[in-house]
Amino acid sequence: MIVARGLTKTYGPKTAVDHLSFTVEPGRVTGFLGPNGAGKSTTMRMILGLDRPTSGSVTVNGRSYAASPAPLREVGALLEARALHPGRSARDHLRWLAASNGIPRTRIDAVLDLVGLEAVADQRVGRFSLGMGQRLGIAVALLGEPPVVVLDEPVNGLDPEGIRWVRTLARELAGQGRTVLVSSHLMSEMALTADHLIVVGRGRMLADCSMADFITDHASSYVRVRSPRMGDAEALLRDNGLDVDRVDDELRVRGRNAAEIGELLGGAGLYVHELSLVQSSLEDAFMTLTADSVEYATHSTETAGAVR
Amino acid sequence: MSTTTASAAPARPGAGSSPTLDVVSLDPNRHVPGVRRPGFLQVLHAEWVKFWTVRSTRWSLGLLFLLGAGLTTLVCWAAAADLAAGDTGEVPAAFLTWGLLFSQLTALALGTLVVTNEYGTGMIRATVTAVPRRGRVVAAKAVVLAGVLFVAGVVTAVAGYFGGNWFLEREGVGMALSDDGVMRALLGNGLYLAGLGLFALATGLLIRHTAAAVTVGMALVLVVGNVAYALPGTWGEWVAKLLPGNAGGSVAQVAPFNGGAVLAPWTGFGVFVAEVAALMLVAVLVFRRRDA
Repeated sequence: MIVARGLTKTYGPKTAVDHLSFTVEPGRVTGFLGPNGAGKSTTMRMILGLDRPTSGSVTVNGRSYAASPAPLREVGALLEARALHPGRSARDHLRWLAASNGIPRTRIDAVLDLVGLEAVADQRVGRFSLGMGQRLGIAVALLGEPPVVVLDEPVNGLDPEGIRWVRTLARELAGQGRTVLVSSHLMSEMALTADHLIVVGRGRMLADCSMADFITDHASSYVRVRSPRMGDAEALLRDNGLDVDRVDDELRVRGRNAAEIGELLGGAGLYVHELSLVQSSLEDAFMTLTADSVEYATHSTETAGAVR
Repeated sequence: MSTTTASAAPARPGAGSSPTLDVVSLDPNRHVPGVRRPGFLQVLHAEWVKFWTVRSTRWSLGLLFLLGAGLTTLVCWAAAADLAAGDTGEVPAAFLTWGLLFSQLTALALGTLVVTNEYGTGMIRATVTAVPRRGRVVAAKAVVLAGVLFVAGVVTAVAGYFGGNWFLEREGVGMALSDDGVMRALLGNGLYLAGLGLFALATGLLIRHTAAAVTVGMALVLVVGNVAYALPGTWGEWVAKLLPGNAGGSVAQVAPFNGGAVLAPWTGFGVFVAEVAALMLVAVLVFRRRDA
């Protein structure tokens, strides 16, 4: 279990993490979601004792990471940036890590086998591809069979098969009762992996809820209606208790399906020029949610909330 | 599909749920599964593995030996006749560890790299996540580095002594191992290089960039050390004598070269140790406070 309370980190005038409080529960995959620069990595670095919080605290299994006598056996972490010497072999990298925490040597072969790197274990990691590097990072994270696993952008650089593998692995680890925190800037990825979501933007908490709640709350769908007599159509639908928004030359209707709305309008003798179901994806929901907090916005694109 | 990619999938047919991920009892308050809590020896072991599994270590130590023993032998061979004739104005004893002038550079480089290669590659993050007690990390690195440099320094000096002295002996100006200061200088080589390595390690911890740290270390020990002798008056002489390279170097020489006043060997080494210790202390304090 990871518990953050009022966690804050400032770098000079810039606030990277702003009073985050959350709990990462065991037995489920918690997705840590936010655009680039939202403070995900900084938060993870504070969980791991790499960075000192400016204020607030974060504990793992009830105490600070640094207080753990054998942290690799307690928390397994894959850090976003590579944290290994390119001249060292994968096996040697695991060897010193195992030595430092008194982890039996047999685990080295076990994790190499688990991530599929046994064939290249004795090669210098500098020659590894991005995906192989990620696999090694995951091997490092699992080396000490930790009850808590923290993965920062684990699917970066992985091929589709690797992505699916990480997804399955994360779910499997959670299924074993471990606490799993996975960060990503891709909503679509989280939708497939996480049971619970923590969404941050500009260091602030935007959402902390179950995946199911997030979908109900944010991934809305509506029926688009166009009619030559927009005013009448709008009034009719409102009179029938439907939730109607008029946006430019269309009506966005929620509460009934397209067929029912069509029948309603037809029954009143109103022509309908368009009647279509519009579903906003989770990705869009996420974009809308974080639109105000995107650190490095590109202004050339269409508004982030556009529907598909 | 290749076997490698097939084995990467966690749910291999027949393997059931991965055998390597046994469901351990996951009591949230279970901090360390089963095994005894690792101590300093484990950290030391980890640093030992790290130290020997990068190429720069072998390169540095190889060069240290080559420069230290090789140059001593070469210079003694070249200077033996002049030394015997008394043309150089130097005592032959000063030449017995001549190569130290250059081998100390490799000790500086190695000491720096032990830390800065971790900062350069991001390894430092892995290091402090594995061992969050940062003082312990530095202590383990220091023990490994100083231990190895001590042995390398002594071995190099002994080889240099035998190589160089053979030529001096031929001209009748050689020294026996039992002669005053010879054994002390051979051991002193190990001590001085170990100290210099720690000095560089501390510099590396403070500066964190290989090139900058190596440059500062070398400039301080060699350039400033020599330039300081040009300072006027008694205070200038004292400054020069107290600078780390000059203070620490005298224990590693059978006899000093002319032109530079140095402290007595053990006095100088005492000063050097104090300087290295002070710098290490500052480095550890800074390292503990700083974000990794």
